[in-house]
This record gives sequence, C-alpha cells and structure tokens, in this order.
Amino acid sequence: MRALRPAALTVVAGVVVVLVFGQQYVGSVFVLALCYGIVTAGMAVQIGFSQQIVFSQCVFMGFGAYGVAMLNTHWSVPSLLATPVVMVASGLAALLLGSIVTRASGLALAVATLMLPLIATGYISSAGYLGGSVGAPLTGNLWAGSTTQSIAIGNGLITVAVLALVVLAAARILSSDIGLELYVLGVDEPTAAAMGVRTPRRRLELFVLGSVFAALGGAIYAGTQLFVPATLASPTAELALLMMLFVGGRRSVIGAVAGAVAIQYLSGASSWVSVNILIVEGVLLTVVLLTDPDGLAGIVHSLTTRLLGRLASAYRPAAASATRLPVPQTSLAPVTPLASPVLTPEPAQCHVDPVVTGPMSHRAGRDRTSAGETEAQVLLECDGIGKEYGGLTVLDDVSVTLPARGLFGLCGPNGAGKSTLLGIIGGSVPPSRGRVLLDGADVTRLPPQQRFGLGVSRTFQAVHLIRGRTVLDNVAVACLASHRSGMVTRLFRSELAEARQKAAQTLSRLGMAALSGRDVTSLTLESQRMVELARAVAAGPRLLLLDEPASGLSDAERGRLADMLTELAGLTCVLLVEHDLALVAQVSQRIFVLAGARLVFDGDPAGFRASPLVNSLLVGL
Amino acid sequence: MKFGNLVIAGLVTGSIYAVFAVCVSVWYRVSNILNLAVGDFAMLGALGVDDLVRVRNWPLPAAIATTLAVVAAFGYLYDRVVLRLATEGRSATEGIVVTFFFTFALSFFIDGVAKVLFGTDVHAAPALWSGRSLTILSELHVERAGILVLACAVICGSMFWLYIRYTLGGKAMEASGENALGARIVGIDTRRYRRIIFTGTAVLAAVFGIIESPITGYTYLSGATISLTGFIAAAYGGFRQPGRALLAGLVIGIVEALLGGYVSAQYGDTVLYAILAALVLAWPRGLGFGSAVSG
Repeated sequence: MRALRPAALTVVAGVVVVLVFGQQYVGSVFVLALCYGIVTAGMAVQIGFSQQIVFSQCVFMGFGAYGVAMLNTHWSVPSLLATPVVMVASGLAALLLGSIVTRASGLALAVATLMLPLIATGYISSAGYLGGSVGAPLTGNLWAGSTTQSIAIGNGLITVAVLALVVLAAARILSSDIGLELYVLGVDEPTAAAMGVRTPRRRLELFVLGSVFAALGGAIYAGTQLFVPATLASPTAELALLMMLFVGGRRSVIGAVAGAVAIQYLSGASSWVSVNILIVEGVLLTVVLLTDPDGLAGIVHSLTTRLLGRLASAYRPAAASATRLPVPQTSLAPVTPLASPVLTPEPAQCHVDPVVTGPMSHRAGRDRTSAGETEAQVLLECDGIGKEYGGLTVLDDVSVTLPARGLFGLCGPNGAGKSTLLGIIGGSVPPSRGRVLLDGADVTRLPPQQRFGLGVSRTFQAVHLIRGRTVLDNVAVACLASHRSGMVTRLFRSELAEARQKAAQTLSRLGMAALSGRDVTSLTLESQRMVELARAVAAGPRLLLLDEPASGLSDAERGRLADMLTELAGLTCVLLVEHDLALVAQVSQRIFVLAGARLVFDGDPAGFRASPLVNSLLVGL
Repeated sequence: MKFGNLVIAGLVTGSIYAVFAVCVSVWYRVSNILNLAVGDFAMLGALGVDDLVRVRNWPLPAAIATTLAVVAAFGYLYDRVVLRLATEGRSATEGIVVTFFFTFALSFFIDGVAKVLFGTDVHAAPALWSGRSLTILSELHVERAGILVLACAVICGSMFWLYIRYTLGGKAMEASGENALGARIVGIDTRRYRRIIFTGTAVLAAVFGIIESPITGYTYLSGATISLTGFIAAAYGGFRQPGRALLAGLVIGIVEALLGGYVSAQYGDTVLYAILAALVLAWPRGLGFGSAVSG
C-alpha cells in the first residue's frame, strides 16, 4: 500500500498542473520534465537504490525516441501505438546488450556502459536516415486531437498516466522482498551472494528495467515534443539525467521525478537561469549533496520527521513533566536500551531452533525426520583441496569430512588458510585443485548463492551487516523466498512481510527481539556479531560456517556464545574457525588444525589439549 | 609514410589522454575520488591565458602566472571547503556519491563560469614554441606544440611513477588512499596529501591546457570531453596506476589515429569505443577493476 502513495501523488499533482497550465509555456516545460522523470524513476531503482552505475540510459532514451519517430515518419504508425512497440523492442535489445555488459559489475560496468553513448553518438551523427547530427522531426502527436488545446491537454495527461505507472512499478519493486535483495546487492555484493541472492540475474533485470523505462521516456518525449534532437543520446544528456537523479534523491523514486521537474523548471523559468544553467546546476548539486546525500527527497524527509517530532513533543511535555519530576534521571530512559546486552542473560530463552524457518527449511525438515541415522551420514566432503594465490600456496591437499550434526573446530596460526578453506566451502573462493561434495554431489563449481540454496550459510570474519537497514531486515535477508522469482512477479505479490516474520521469530528465539527495530550501525560489536549469527541461522542451514565469531567479545559474551553454539550443534553441522582455543576445545567434538597450508591435526578435544604439536604451534610451549 | 605520420599524430593525441589519465589516477589513489573536473581546469588554463593576452593585452608570462595562480587558489579552496565537508562533514558520505558526483558538479560549475567569462567561441592560448611543423626523415611531420605535449606527458607520467615507487612521500600518499584511518594513525596527514595532489593536478592540467590548446582549440565545453578521455584512459590503468594510465592513454591515441586512417574516418571512433568496451568486459580483473570497485 505504501507504494501507492508516490504514484497517487504523481497523478494528482500532474493532472492539476496539466489541466491548469496545459496550454501555456509552463505546461510544456512540465510535460518535458515528466518525460525525463520517467527515465530518472528507472535510474533511481538501478543506479540509486541498487548502486549499479551505468551510463547507458540516454542511449535507450534515444532508442525509444528515434524508434517512435521512424515508425511515425516512415510507416505512419501513430505515436501512441508506436510507444508499446518500441518498449518491447527496447526490452529485447536491453536483454541482449545487458547479458553482455552486466557480466561486469562496479566500475567495470560503469566504464563499459560509458562507451555506449559515445558509440551511439558516433552512429547517429553519421546515419542519414536518422537525420544526422541535427535530429529527426515527426508529425504524430501522442494524442491525435483536432485542436492544439486538446492535443496539449491529451499529451500531458497521457504523460502523467505513463509516469504514474512507472512510479508505481518502481516503488512496488523497491518495497518488495526483491527490493531488499537489491539493497543488499548495492551495499555489499559478496554478502548478497552468500545470502542466496542471484546477483548476475538481478543485475541483468535491473539493466533491462532501467533501459525499458528510459526507452519509454524517450518514446513519450518524441510523441510530445515532435522532434528528436541528435544530442538526446549523447554523454552530455546522460550527465543531465544523472544531475536530475542526484539532485532529486537517488534512492527515492518520487525524489528522482521531483529532481527532473526541478531542473527542467529551473532551466525554463528565467532567462538568467537558462543562460547560466551550468553554474546553477553545479552549485545546486554541491549544496544539496552536502546537505544530504539523498538529495531533495532526503532533505524533505528529515525536515518532515523533525517537524513531526517537534509537533509531538510540543503536546507531550505538559503531561510528561508532571510524572517525571520526582525522578529526573528517567529522562535518560530512552537511551538505556542502547547499552543493554543483546542476549538476554537468562539462558532459558536461548532456544535455538534453526530448522523451522527460512528458505532451506524443507530440506532441513526432511533431515530431521531421520535424525537418528543422519548422525553418522556424511554431509560435507572436501577432497584434496589446494589453493594458490599467484605463487603462494595457501592450501595443499586438504581433505575434511563432516557429518550432518555436530560442532567442528578449525584452528591454526595466522595465514594458515582457515578463512580460505571456509571461502572454498562457502563458494566465494574457487579452489585451484580438489573437489567439494555436499551430500555426495559435486558443488565445486557452484556459486555461493546456489550453495546457500543447498543449505550452506556463513558469517564473516569482519562483520558484514547491511548498513542503513534495521536488525530485522538484516536477518530477513536470509529468509527471502524470492531468489528464484523474476522481478516482474514482485509487482503483484511480495513476501517481504513473511520474511520479516520469520526473521522476527528467529530474533525472539535468540532473545534479541528488543533489537529488531534498531539500525545495525548503532549496535555494539557483540550485538553485531550476534545479528550476523542470527542471520546465518535464520535460514535453517544444514552447514553453518562461522568465521571467528568470538573475536572482540568479552569473557561473559564468549560464555553466552558457547552456550548458543552447543545448542546449535545438536541441530545442524557447524564448522567454527576460531583463535580462542579454550572456546574451541570446550564446544567442539572434533578439531582440525591447519598449519603451513596442510592439515596437521585431526582429533577430539582431549587429544587436542594433549598434543605437543598443537601446543608448539598454537600456544607456543 | 602514412603509417608513420598516423603514429605521430596518434602519439600527440594519446599524450593528451595520457596526462589527464595520470592526473585522474594519481588523485584517485590518494582520495578514492574520481576527479571528473580535470579537463575543465585545462580549459580554464587555456582560455584564461588567451583572454588575458588577446583581450586585455597582458604580456604572456604574466598571463600564464596569473592564470595558474587562480587555478591553484581555486583548487585549494574547493578542496578545503567542499571536499572536506563532503568526506568529513556532518553528513559525510561515501561510495558512489563522493566518488563521482562532487567533482561532476564542480565540472558543471567551472564550465558555467567559463561561459560567462570567455564566451562560447573557440580560442587557444598563444603557442609557446611557434614556427612551421618540423620535418624528420623528409616525410614525417611533427607539430612543434605536439613535441611539447608529448614531452610534458612523458615527464609528468614518469615523475609521478618514480615518486610513488621510490619515495617515502609516494608511499605515504598510497597509504592515504588504501586506508585513510590507518594512515592517519601512523602520522600521515592524509588531508594534506589529498589537498596537495588535488591542487597540483589542477595546475598541471592547466599548464597542459595552455601547451596543448594551439593544436585543438578550446571552447568552454571542451573540458568535459577531455575529462572523459582521461577518465577512460585512467580506467585502463585500473584508476590507481599512473604509469599504466600513461601507457593506456598513448596506446588509445595511436589506435584511434590508425583506425581513423585505415578503417574509416567516419566510424573510427565508434570502432575504438567498441574495442574499449569489449576489453573491459573480456578482461576486467587484468585491467585492475577487481580492486578498484568501491561501491
């Protein structure tokens, strides 16, 4: 329902402006701005929210505009009819192009797509049938009315309707479960992959979405302006679009549209501004970004929050001060939860039951029915794993076999290859030699997101939580059921609420329910580690890989962690990389020691404590 | 001899790309920010000198000194005020906003100011080494300005490379970019390095604009194009290695000239950009993109 609000706002504001100013100069500036708004709404999803920087929107805007112009001029297709045709064509083109360019990510994606406007400009300026470096005129208005008045109003209303649909679609995707996937993808791609997000597919979908919206904006542009300038597909046009997006607010769909309207209105509003538009834009962008990285949308948001807070507190003090006077310290009350420990001290509340929730639950559930016999069954088999970085051998012929239940420690001096082995089992590091078998099936070549689907879940040595999201959403990332679904299906059905519910269950089972609404950046290190553990557990994994969960924790905190690990070990297979030997010896049933790239010890805790080799390696005796 | 002349022309264009690529990558190394306004400083240098000499009749040395001083002061102020607020202010930002958009806004601003000050016509600073083009081996022709440009590119690029590779200051600069907090803890003034390099590359770009402008001629909008080519060449040096950026700039220039001469004058650039895009996609890690991604 929240996704409806920006679309409703667009419709109301757009219709009012078109009806009142439709036939004046301001009205035509407004309609032009809305054409750009259609493009920037898509950019907000792709570039702002998911942080996939591409410079190809202007190319697809040109594709849409020229497409309509050509269909209209050469085959006399009405613009309104040509628009959906061009949309479908641009979708296919984007799919083709996207499947090549989105193999890259980050800066490589940005640089590769930067070439596209340069190529397009070169092509357009020399292609005679497109009008060369001047541009292509067309005659078919979007709304084929009989009077100029009805044409202006009709064009305007169609543009508003299209924009509202685009805004609705974009806002729905952002507020759906795939929206959460996209957010994680933008902030931290390795974590997204480890949590099962099919990152290459999402990047391609984002590219197609951004491109189709851009082509749609271009098609409407052609149908309302009746001229396609050759500069529409140039790098300069791309920069102008990015300017609109970042002034308006990169993560907000309605902000991106407002940015387009603001910049277009400014350049059309006064002659001084339109002459000095570059100075105005430069200063505006700098000032807005310095005030709030989320642009005008961010500024409006924080202003309204502050205003509402001021209003709320203006009514409260009279009642509150009366009760608070006797005990002045209670004014600090809202702050105290910040300092309280994450895990409730009563161990009774720590009932870890990872098998009930999450996308992996069906498999885990099946296993539980035959818990007796799976105890001895082999879950994970690493066979002759070797890994080299350049000339440096990090792992050499390491073989480890783990059953379906229990807790297994992995120790070794710094640089022994522990984290690398964990990465190889998790799928984020490809081994140079050897095989990884899960349930007897070879998974050596599977990427992390698919291993997550098979029940492999992990935490990271350095905490990898998603900043800017609540604890609840951070855990919900692991409970999403949308990994196999396409983005379009989420326009109609989102299961974010279900994922959040599962996350809330996991949090309350771990005694962390009080934290669920907090932003992760405000947590202590222990809490952050616990949230990461909760995220790894929430999916109901069969194999849980923990990379130094105790580092940075106090003795009391380690004690609570040990209790939790022991409980987990009864339900699933845990591989624990840890430097705290006492903790490892306390909770593990079997311990592996890596040193000099090889497995040098494999035995029970008693043998571990007694072994002279282990003592000389790890304790220095 | 067509080939030889094309290579020479390509080397000159390539060294233009190379110098800006070096400026972009050196500063990215210190600050993790891509300076998209380098080209605009070059434009400011060229058009500023031209304006002072041609319109106001200043002597050339005074015009050059004044223009460079203005560019330096502006670069210094911009870093002090805007970039400092952006990276360390109350609502400090990181990631793509800082990486791309502050200097992008700066570029718009400089272009707008230049439009007001210098108008929209094509101008160039007076040639520093005037005369007819030199002829080598009876058939190879070299513009005198081209030799200056090439020399300037090679000297700047190798100086930065030596500085980073062999001096303590270069190591400290590298540390500032790798891990600013860690660098500050061991006593490196990361802000100072960032400021020196930003101002330094701005002045260098302006000098280069003055030398180069007799060849191509500048308008107030030329800066964006130059920044773009510099950005692309820097990208093929992984944004962090000035030496490789220099080489990439030169190679791109030569390939561009050869494509224009032998393939098609009309589609030469288009083919070049397609090749460049294919290179990034086929070989991202080899080009250093793996480590340069900052989100």
